[in-house]
Amino acid sequence: MDKTERLVDFPAFLASMAHDMKNSLSMLLNTLDEVVGTCTSEKCPSHRHLSQMQYEATRVNFNLIQLLTLYKMDRDQFSINISHYPVSELIEEIALQNRPLLDYKGIEILNECPDDLTWFMDSNLISGVINNILNNAYRYTKSRILIRANEINGWLVLSIEDDGQGYPEEMLGTGVQKGSGVSFKTGSTGLGLYFASMVVKLHKNKDREGFISISNGGEYGGGCFTLTLP
Amino acid sequence: MAIDYKHKKILIVDDFSSFRRLMVRMLESLGAKDIDDAYSGDSAIQKMESKAYDIVMCDYNLGHDKKDGQQILEEAKHRGLIRYSSIFVMLTAENTMPMVMGAVEYQPDDYLIKPISKEMVTMRLEKILKRKTDFEDIETAVRNKEYLRAITLCDERAINIPRYMLEYLRLKGDLCITIGRYDEAAAVFEKVLSMREISWAKMGMGKVHFHKGEYLKAKDMFKSVLDDNKTYMEAYDWLAKALQELEALDEAQKVLLTAIGISPKAILRHQTIGDISGKIGDYDAAEEAFKSAIAIGKHSCFKSPSYYTGLAKTMIKKDSPDEALQVLNSARNEFKGNIEAMFQTVSMEGIVYKGMNRKEDARKTIQEATRLLEKLSGKVPMEATMDLARVCFDLGEKEKGMQFMQNIVRNNHDNDKVLAMVQGVFKDSQLEEEGAKVITTTKNEVIKLNNEGVSLIEEGKLEDAIEYFEKAAKGLPESKIINANAAQALMMYMQKSGTNEKYLYTASQYLDRIKSIDPSYDKYQKLLNLYEKVAGSSKKPDA
Repeated sequence: MDKTERLVDFPAFLASMAHDMKNSLSMLLNTLDEVVGTCTSEKCPSHRHLSQMQYEATRVNFNLIQLLTLYKMDRDQFSINISHYPVSELIEEIALQNRPLLDYKGIEILNECPDDLTWFMDSNLISGVINNILNNAYRYTKSRILIRANEINGWLVLSIEDDGQGYPEEMLGTGVQKGSGVSFKTGSTGLGLYFASMVVKLHKNKDREGFISISNGGEYGGGCFTLTLP
Repeated sequence: MAIDYKHKKILIVDDFSSFRRLMVRMLESLGAKDIDDAYSGDSAIQKMESKAYDIVMCDYNLGHDKKDGQQILEEAKHRGLIRYSSIFVMLTAENTMPMVMGAVEYQPDDYLIKPISKEMVTMRLEKILKRKTDFEDIETAVRNKEYLRAITLCDERAINIPRYMLEYLRLKGDLCITIGRYDEAAAVFEKVLSMREISWAKMGMGKVHFHKGEYLKAKDMFKSVLDDNKTYMEAYDWLAKALQELEALDEAQKVLLTAIGISPKAILRHQTIGDISGKIGDYDAAEEAFKSAIAIGKHSCFKSPSYYTGLAKTMIKKDSPDEALQVLNSARNEFKGNIEAMFQTVSMEGIVYKGMNRKEDARKTIQEATRLLEKLSGKVPMEATMDLARVCFDLGEKEKGMQFMQNIVRNNHDNDKVLAMVQGVFKDSQLEEEGAKVITTTKNEVIKLNNEGVSLIEEGKLEDAIEYFEKAAKGLPESKIINANAAQALMMYMQKSGTNEKYLYTASQYLDRIKSIDPSYDKYQKLLNLYEKVAGSSKKPDA
């Protein structure tokens, strides 16, 4: 009949496409990993390019993860999986994952989190959010990233600060929460924050729900992303 | 805790050879030498049958219409192909796993999302190993059936190791349910829920309500779990159980159909849908459900003759007795050599023949079933036996039918639910009065049998009592009181004359039987204490 009927279930089609792309990307990333492992920057002239490829592929991978997760949330097929998780360990793990790239750029990550701090969260989702922020920070940071986590008045407050230029003025403010920062014209930065805000909102306990905020300044004078979980 | 990969036996399961090669290289670079790989579930199981792997890394999605990672894990655990100390890691392409929430006992040690870096693998495996070490003595206690000791350990750890506090509480709650200490379990889950409305604690609470017969409360609890998390598959099954108890069969069917929509491979769920659908006269749904169960069963270790008998029963209702016979015939082929399965199949054949009015064939099946029943040791399939008795009564073979029914009563003389079912059969066959008499005399027989054994104990003739109850328990494997006294005689003997491994093991077998029938049984609770006292003293000879 009309056009909408011919494109059977476009979002579902998109999702399975994204799934397939992700499989290929996994192979690509793993292979790149191996290649990078065999060449060091002194000996291998293509090392710089390889690192760049690794970075971009990782970025695409994070985007696909977000896309698939948002798709499932939209379709009501998504369920959060909360467990009691050691926060410091989570940060360590994420730092380790991102280390090769950050090392290459000479960016240092500092983990300031009490060892015995545990929190209720979906660790997969939260590490997705943090990975994404770090991935962006890689682009904008000069030399240092600080991840700080603390319990404040019954909330987990986790912030990621860098010494870059900070967030552009127009992104600061209330838009972040509602996802109105998503502009399909200007690129995916807004999408990342939208994803983050969706994820933290799923973290609920007794009438309280998580939220994110962004600001500039902080200890290093750059951008500061904070997620707060009940 | 660095892992020495050199001596680890590792299995990689993935349908893509390039990925398998990649994983092999990655693990080799960590120092692993003994790495196998498999491209499918069947070949993975085959490899696990012949080698005890320390680490299995298994992709979840192994291709359309193939065994998936979860099925491999379930089969491997069910058949004891992986030990507690082995590590099973599920690899997935996404972080939004649609069916991760299987039963706790069938959960992998961890999920890893592709792409997987070397750093990630090392870190996660080390973490899992550390966790296993931390939980080792509790697991050992559970394996040795020293549940009370395991619970005490959980209590201590929850205080001493705060990072695992919730896990210890969860373990404790589940253990308390296992051994029928429902109030204690409720206290644990309540404590957790006061901290956080976490799904597994709600789930535990729901189970406690269910076991205590508070089905309405249980229903609400399970519903609330599903409100939070639509892929918590266990909650659908328990919700349906509660609804069945509340006699809301239509709703129970609907709940399970929803669950099947999400996770289509759960074989037992298909069977339950078949059973419920049959009860509410929705034979089309029943047919579909049993057919699905049979189809999935071809790839599963959980195949059972009851899917076939269920389908046959449905086909009778749909006036297709020939098809029913066909189904049962394929069951005969599928379960050759399995006496219990044959007994169930043959009993159902009897019903079909009876319905077709082929009396001679029906009589033959009764004879065959009787022979099979004699060969059957241990648990007798109750439902099939009742079905068979009905056929006997219908064909005028009253004596034979009574014999079958007596067997059930003897084994369940103190189980009111079963006795009510027995009465139902008698009523349907217009044998209500005579049946009631049979129930009473049989009950008395068992009581007398038990009392004689008890007096042996009271007279201190413990060795005689052990022998007496051993014989009794062989004949009545499902009688709570007989099993309890059999265990008690053994333990009293050990208290007096010192423990020995054989008796300890036998006693634990008796206790296990009671646990599977009714863990909240008073006498079981007391015997558990006694068992651990006896078992404990065997380890500390000086104590």
